[in-house]
Amino acid sequence: MSMNFSEFKRRLGEDPLSRDEEMLRARNSAPEFEQAALDAEAFERALQNAVNIRAPEGLVNTILDIAHTAPKRRNWVPLAMAATVLLAVGAAGIAWKQSHRWDSVDAYVEDHYSKDGDKLVANSADGVSEKDINRIMARLDAFAGPQLSDRIRFIKLCPTPDGRGAHMVVSTSQGPVTIIYMPNTKVSEGEMLVFDQMHALLVNLDHGSVAIIGTRAQNVENLQAMVRNSLKTGLIDA
Amino acid sequence: MTSDTDRTRRFNQLAEAYSTDLYRYAMWICSNDALAKDLVQETFLRAWRALDKLNDTAAAKSWLITILRREYARTFERKVPKFTDVEYVVIPEDAELEPEERTERDLLRKGIMKLDPKYRDPLLMQVVFGYSCAEISEQLGSSKSAVMTQLFRAREKLKVQMQKDGVTGNVHELF
Repeated sequence: MSMNFSEFKRRLGEDPLSRDEEMLRARNSAPEFEQAALDAEAFERALQNAVNIRAPEGLVNTILDIAHTAPKRRNWVPLAMAATVLLAVGAAGIAWKQSHRWDSVDAYVEDHYSKDGDKLVANSADGVSEKDINRIMARLDAFAGPQLSDRIRFIKLCPTPDGRGAHMVVSTSQGPVTIIYMPNTKVSEGEMLVFDQMHALLVNLDHGSVAIIGTRAQNVENLQAMVRNSLKTGLIDA
Repeated sequence: MTSDTDRTRRFNQLAEAYSTDLYRYAMWICSNDALAKDLVQETFLRAWRALDKLNDTAAAKSWLITILRREYARTFERKVPKFTDVEYVVIPEDAELEPEERTERDLLRKGIMKLDPKYRDPLLMQVVFGYSCAEISEQLGSSKSAVMTQLFRAREKLKVQMQKDGVTGNVHELF
């Protein structure tokens, strides 16, 4: 028994690209069926075009960076066995090598900033909503007080030496400055890193640390107190 | 050491294969670029941690979608308001299109965002991920017949919306 036109159109609406035998037979049975199939295919092409929004540049790399720097889940049996043979001092050194892609925080800051730091500073003029800031900070168990959040013009999650952190661009009287929040990393307090045309101040917080990065003409030390006072860390379900 | 390398390679393959489609899907369900990126990153972070539980690589796509949908649901548990004002959604421009095609695309995008999630979700799974009705039914926990009806109605609603907006070019007469 052949399919009627209403049934054919209903099935086209369910799956316009179906290559089902019964549908193909119906399609070839009369010109109106063929036309309906062609129209459905055209609509489907338009629909495909509409949904195919371009993914952000570097999405895959960000995913890989974040995943590969995330602390691994602990497997307690091997850890217990390892504890019998490893001395604490040796274990600390080995753990660093196993869980970090960078040899040091210094190397991380330079490597991370050099990837897209300048570009993010240049493209960060649009600003960011408080909702987005709060959402990203909540992921990191942290909260940005108004002194900081009012200045943030760009924020995203980013990899750090010990899992995820936040990459921010903030407005200052000296121009935009980058702040990288590393929730699980401790740094050498007050160390100033110098690379390319930039310098970066490392500051420990209650939980984790930040790198405040600016051009060498910018006085990044001036921001230290504001960041320390405004970035509340180690919160639960902020 | 080899298993670590294999694990990393396996994960990298998943990220390469599915991150773009997951971002598209996330973007359509939440209508917010920052949240969509966040959802995709969180999805892959969870996938990385639980990768050893994924025994069948063929099930990876469905597994990732499930993680993303759960993560999206958690967003609302945290009482983050929904960002659905279509006028404020920024969607990056794609390939160069003729003005008429661009109008059609933009109207379709508006239409998709306006669709009720019960119609939009199965439609996106079919169009973005290429899922069959049976696969959508499994993913959404609905009957296959319900999914088929939702898919038909989703397209019907989009076409009606397009006709209301005066676009008739490639859109087939419905009635």
